[in-house]
Amino acid sequence: MLAYIIQRIAQSFLVLLVVGAVAFSMFRFVGDPIDNMLGQERTQADIERLRTQLGLDQPFPVQYVKFLAGAVQGNFGVSYRQGRPVSQILLERAPATLELAAVSGFLAISIGIGLGVFTAIRRDGFTANAIMSLSLIGVSLPTFLIGILLIYLFSVELGWLPSFGRGDTVRIGWWTTGFLTESGLKALILPSITLGLYQMTLIMRLVRSEMLEVLRQDYIRFARARGLRDRAVNFRHALKNTLVPVITVTGLQLGSIIAFAIITETVFQWPGVGLLFINAIQFVDIPVMAAYLMLISVMFVGINLIVDLLYFSIDPRLRADRTGGH
Amino acid sequence: MRRLTYSAAFAALLATSAHAAEFSWAETTDPQTMDPHAVNSAPVLGFLNNIYEGLVRRDKDMVIEPALATSWEPIGAGEGWRFTLRQGVKFHDGSDFTAQDVLFSYERASSEEADTRSWFAPVSEVNVVDDYTIDIMTSAPNPIFPDSIANWMIVDAGWAEANAAARPDKDNGNFATLNTNGTGAFMLDERAPGLSTVLVPHAGWWDTAEHNITRATLTPIQNPATAVAALLSGDIDFINPVPIQDTERLKQNPDVNIIQGIEARVIMLGFPHEADALKYSAETTDKNPFADVRVRQAVGHAINVPAILQTIMRGNAEEVSQLVSPAMRGYTDSLARRPVYSPDEARALLTEAGYPDGFSFGLKCTNDRYLNDEAVCQAVTGMLAQVGMRATLDAMPVQNYWPELRADNYDMYLLGWSPGTFDAEHPIRFLAATPNDEKKLGSWNFGGYSNARVDELLPMIQSEIDDTKRQAMLDETAQILQDEAAYVPLYVQPLVWGTQANIDMTQRPDNFFMLRWVTVN
Repeated sequence: MLAYIIQRIAQSFLVLLVVGAVAFSMFRFVGDPIDNMLGQERTQADIERLRTQLGLDQPFPVQYVKFLAGAVQGNFGVSYRQGRPVSQILLERAPATLELAAVSGFLAISIGIGLGVFTAIRRDGFTANAIMSLSLIGVSLPTFLIGILLIYLFSVELGWLPSFGRGDTVRIGWWTTGFLTESGLKALILPSITLGLYQMTLIMRLVRSEMLEVLRQDYIRFARARGLRDRAVNFRHALKNTLVPVITVTGLQLGSIIAFAIITETVFQWPGVGLLFINAIQFVDIPVMAAYLMLISVMFVGINLIVDLLYFSIDPRLRADRTGGH
Repeated sequence: MRRLTYSAAFAALLATSAHAAEFSWAETTDPQTMDPHAVNSAPVLGFLNNIYEGLVRRDKDMVIEPALATSWEPIGAGEGWRFTLRQGVKFHDGSDFTAQDVLFSYERASSEEADTRSWFAPVSEVNVVDDYTIDIMTSAPNPIFPDSIANWMIVDAGWAEANAAARPDKDNGNFATLNTNGTGAFMLDERAPGLSTVLVPHAGWWDTAEHNITRATLTPIQNPATAVAALLSGDIDFINPVPIQDTERLKQNPDVNIIQGIEARVIMLGFPHEADALKYSAETTDKNPFADVRVRQAVGHAINVPAILQTIMRGNAEEVSQLVSPAMRGYTDSLARRPVYSPDEARALLTEAGYPDGFSFGLKCTNDRYLNDEAVCQAVTGMLAQVGMRATLDAMPVQNYWPELRADNYDMYLLGWSPGTFDAEHPIRFLAATPNDEKKLGSWNFGGYSNARVDELLPMIQSEIDDTKRQAMLDETAQILQDEAAYVPLYVQPLVWGTQANIDMTQRPDNFFMLRWVTVN
């Protein structure tokens, strides 16, 4: 058991190092930050001086090792653009992204499971078919288009919801929350739908097909034959048994919700880390890009590690040391 | 009870009669610092002009007018300038403005750590005469010095020193990166970098307020579609810029005003004057056709600028013949005409230069720096192809672009130039003078254009006090640059702002948004 965990953790670190190295080697293609940092009246000498000062004249492995040395101590350097520690900037921006991800994740799971069960039970009903057809839109339309469509409908035409931003926020310690104000809650609606729509349709379709599978099983027939009520059969017996694969997929999707919030955040000018990353690319703010990419890969690797460990505890067949016990 | 009624009535009166209003606006770029000397970039200087003031400022027509100085005059035969300062001016924290603050701001803005230090290259020393008189001495006569310091903002010496911000710190930031203490019409109320910045009026401002704003919020919005939607939904009162392709549609909308003008930025084509051979040609690998003035002139004749403006800029820009727009000081009126569009003329010039069948070459271009830059380059490519100059277009983000130009990786390139001093001398210094790092000349002259007469004229222009003589020299330079087709200027970039229909404001060609000229009706 312990050996397995240690092995997985070691693998995770290796993955992190490789991801970081790939990211760092890509930065030189993003462009040169120097011109952005100096004004119109810079001279060639200014350019060289700043390049040396930032250490950009060194080969990328040297820059990478320096970055890692800092990152291990929690120091991600200073943003080229804002002149403030990157860790501080990320900390300011994280609540916006995490709250958005939490709300979209919640919407995706609750609505996705609900609709999935509904469409499975009323397999040939008109409403179920309509939902299934509509869900195709969720999978096939790109996020930014959905976002723009929602903005035009609900903000520009109807004027019900704000078109951008996070509304008023309340500060609790270092965390800022939009859950406690009316404008904050209103501002969450459109971006969280935009961000969660794909995951919602995915979960819905997954639940539906798993559910259809389970509903054909013998024990469901026996349950019905025993005269159990529909609700008990559908939810207590059928749904429960469909959830194992759903939980796996949902867990992995949670990572993508946070990582791919970039597009939603750009469309809605949502002040989270994704928007920060997009701006960092525009201004070649290497410390911010590096820290963001490292954090996202830490998160993905972490989620995968947890999922692996969960499998290990759920599925007895993986526990090699206990085989033959029964 | 009575008191309550009175105050309620008073509040109602205020609400109905004063027209005081909150205001929100969006720009694509967030001012990256609140320090007026740390960064020399338009978004920062434009924004901070609402908070800080200089000795002089520009009015609605870009003309220099008194601000913290009430008057100024040359000293002797051009040894410097004497500024008489305004009395009774208060900083936002209530402290008094005196000559010491000006001296301190000079030392701060011209220090090694400041991005603005090049503005003070002509200055030899600054002397405080008394509390409200200051002498700024220049090493050579400098007729446009007052014009060149409109963005030099005065900070409070006591405040900066007390908060350990006596020098700007661009790399790590300091107190002045996030806080301000100016004399301007607005004070900084809240600052969240990259998210929002809130300004409130400065009650003790020395000038009469024209605006009726009680609170103004700047939100940077990078995505143009989001900004337009925010304007249409009424969440935002003003956006800059409006995407060119949305301009016509927004003009039809009664709830929205479109304010159009032209910016100071001239878009032009540049050439590799010094190169021995083309870099990206399929067949002309042993010589550089652009070294021949006739080939460069052919480029001027081959490009149909009105057609580019009609189609790509949707009628929003103006063609230009010089390195500065007509709105700038020192523009040469007699040379206002661009080379006539004539493919035949272009072909004739090419044949004369020895390229009857034309040649192929590489055109470098940005795709995110200037309005519709890539589309313009595509059009240019098409038009040049008609006369036999077959360009391979390579468009890239601006962050990759400058390193390429510095490495001479181009056969022709697109460049936009906005003169920081709003004077015709500026592009000569940066684009036409022979590159010389020591003298800080020609630092954006990528192609290495060099003309002895231009180099000779430049220092004379810089130190000529007499306006007529100075203009004559500027005219001569403009004539040389046009005759030699050192660059091929195309058009002046448009400015398109969008506001709610109930907002009045003034647009200036430097694209600075002045909150003090905003009225919400």
